[in-house]
Amino acid sequence: MMKYLFLFFLIFFIASPFAEARIYLDINAPTLVQIPIILAKWKSLDKTPPPLSEKVYEILANDLTLSGFFKVIDVPRLPHSLQEKDGIPNTLSLQEWISAGGEILLAGETFMEPNGLNFRLKFHLIDLVEQKHIIGKQYEGPLQTLRPAVHRIADEVVLQITGEKGVHNTKIAYAVLQGVGKEIFIADFDGANVKQITQNQSINLSPAWSPDGKKIAFTSYLKRNPDLYLIDVAGKNLQPFSTYPGLNVSPSWSPDGKQIAMMMGMEGKSEIFLIDTNGKNPKKLTKGQGNEASPTWSPDGQQIAFVSDRSGSPQIYIMTRDGSNVHRLTFEGNYNTNPSWSPREDRIAFCARVEGRFDVFAIGSDGSGLRRLTSNPGNNESPCWSPDGRYIAFSSTRKGSSKIFIMNANGFNQRALTPSKGGESSPSWSKRFE
Amino acid sequence: MTKKSLIITILILCIGLLMIGCPKKKVLREEPSVTREEAAKREEAAKREEATRREEAALKEEAAGREEAAKKELETSLVAKKEPGIEGEVFESKLLKDIRFDYDKYDIRPEDAPILKENAALLKKYSKVKIQIEGHCDERGTNEYNLALGERRANSTKTYILTLGIPSDRISTISYGEEKPVDPGHNEEAWAKNRRAHFIITSK
Repeated sequence: MMKYLFLFFLIFFIASPFAEARIYLDINAPTLVQIPIILAKWKSLDKTPPPLSEKVYEILANDLTLSGFFKVIDVPRLPHSLQEKDGIPNTLSLQEWISAGGEILLAGETFMEPNGLNFRLKFHLIDLVEQKHIIGKQYEGPLQTLRPAVHRIADEVVLQITGEKGVHNTKIAYAVLQGVGKEIFIADFDGANVKQITQNQSINLSPAWSPDGKKIAFTSYLKRNPDLYLIDVAGKNLQPFSTYPGLNVSPSWSPDGKQIAMMMGMEGKSEIFLIDTNGKNPKKLTKGQGNEASPTWSPDGQQIAFVSDRSGSPQIYIMTRDGSNVHRLTFEGNYNTNPSWSPREDRIAFCARVEGRFDVFAIGSDGSGLRRLTSNPGNNESPCWSPDGRYIAFSSTRKGSSKIFIMNANGFNQRALTPSKGGESSPSWSKRFE
Repeated sequence: MTKKSLIITILILCIGLLMIGCPKKKVLREEPSVTREEAAKREEAAKREEATRREEAALKEEAAGREEAAKKELETSLVAKKEPGIEGEVFESKLLKDIRFDYDKYDIRPEDAPILKENAALLKKYSKVKIQIEGHCDERGTNEYNLALGERRANSTKTYILTLGIPSDRISTISYGEEKPVDPGHNEEAWAKNRRAHFIITSK
């Protein structure tokens, strides 16, 4: 019996390189159907300064483009007769918009209170094919909340058209090279509001948002050891969290926010540990001869995917949260790292080396449906999912220095997060901030 | 009391006093007779002893001088290493040499064993010196896996040095992964230099 078992595994392992070649050649990402949406000129009511409406329009058009679900027909792309038509049209005049080639019409208006401190936004979403009103909403607030309010409109439009709310009110944390060190930064989904969170000139690495969006866990060499710290989103209240000798890196919060899985080196090599969010009771989950790295939680909090080189090369493995039932997930290629478990689907994105370069792939947690998502010159690494599982942020050197990119989960619509010079790595996506 | 008994009492007391007051018998030690020959021998031995003492002192002095000089050698080789945002005053010395690693590997290469032996010899010479071994990687691969690899490189280097008789409380380790390249280049030459274990002195 043992003899046959051995034979079985032998065939299995020998066969895998061929499977790799076949899958790589076979990859065709499904085409993304983008819905054409017309954005009519935004109207400024009463004495509202027109630049305010232009600002709202610009943010909204950009949001809908970034979502990847729409082909945005903005004012310059409209027939001349429609370019100056602003505000919410009455149902009788809908017919004329059909000529613009859109299926959906988004129209709205801005009102600024005479005191200049508060705004009010109103929008209507209209189905031009069915000639019916889909939804209309109004938002108001102090001027400093204008951007989030516009993002909420974009989220609402995405919800109406795709069945799930957008992620325009989310943020991405990442590390940025500064001199010889790295600092933690955050930016909005649309690349706005870039903020430096740490300012300690040290090496600050692998930020991870807490599930409640209030804190960021990250590693810093402040005390000449890679210790884990917590800091709040405003960059205040830095507190040491895990300072065991050796590595305290690559934190991953459990979905309930009660534990952090991380790499710890206190035993002389990196192992996956689970630690309570008070920084106490580290519990070792992995055992064996390999280096264990980069834990990531399944959305139900029952399993953890991680990297291990116990087979001789780094591969993705999955285990139950108590460290049992370890099984290997990836067999193609000889360098698969950085797993990130989708919060939506049972899919795991990871980074694989292909012909000396690195690209982002995704695979089902049962090992099926391997798909290559990037194939650009340069290295594409550190994938991380948006909270709705419909986008992946990653780092890419396609334009020289490493920058954070965002793409739809199928690999479409790849774009740089910000117009920065680069030096960026290790993105982590926040929850939705309402 | 009769006169007779008084006299007897006094006599007894006197005898008692005599006994108490009487010291132990003085015993005169007989001085051995010293011959001239023996005296000469003794003198010679003393001279020899003195000579040996001097010789030893001189040797000690010389050794101390050598150690002092050597200490100076280490002292003069030390370069304070200022690292922004990283706590602690540390030094680098050209006397403690780096070793390199093969791509994705953490085992000590045979050609690097002599370097580690030299480093260990230096540590034996300066028993107060404490070091930290830094494990480094090249930029390829992911940051986190490289941190694990760097940890392993630092620790396999430490393990090797421990086998050479250096106590473990004198060696700490740290992994910098790919975060502190010595060569910022993006080519094979730079990568080879960056895959290293680097030694710093944390206490002189």
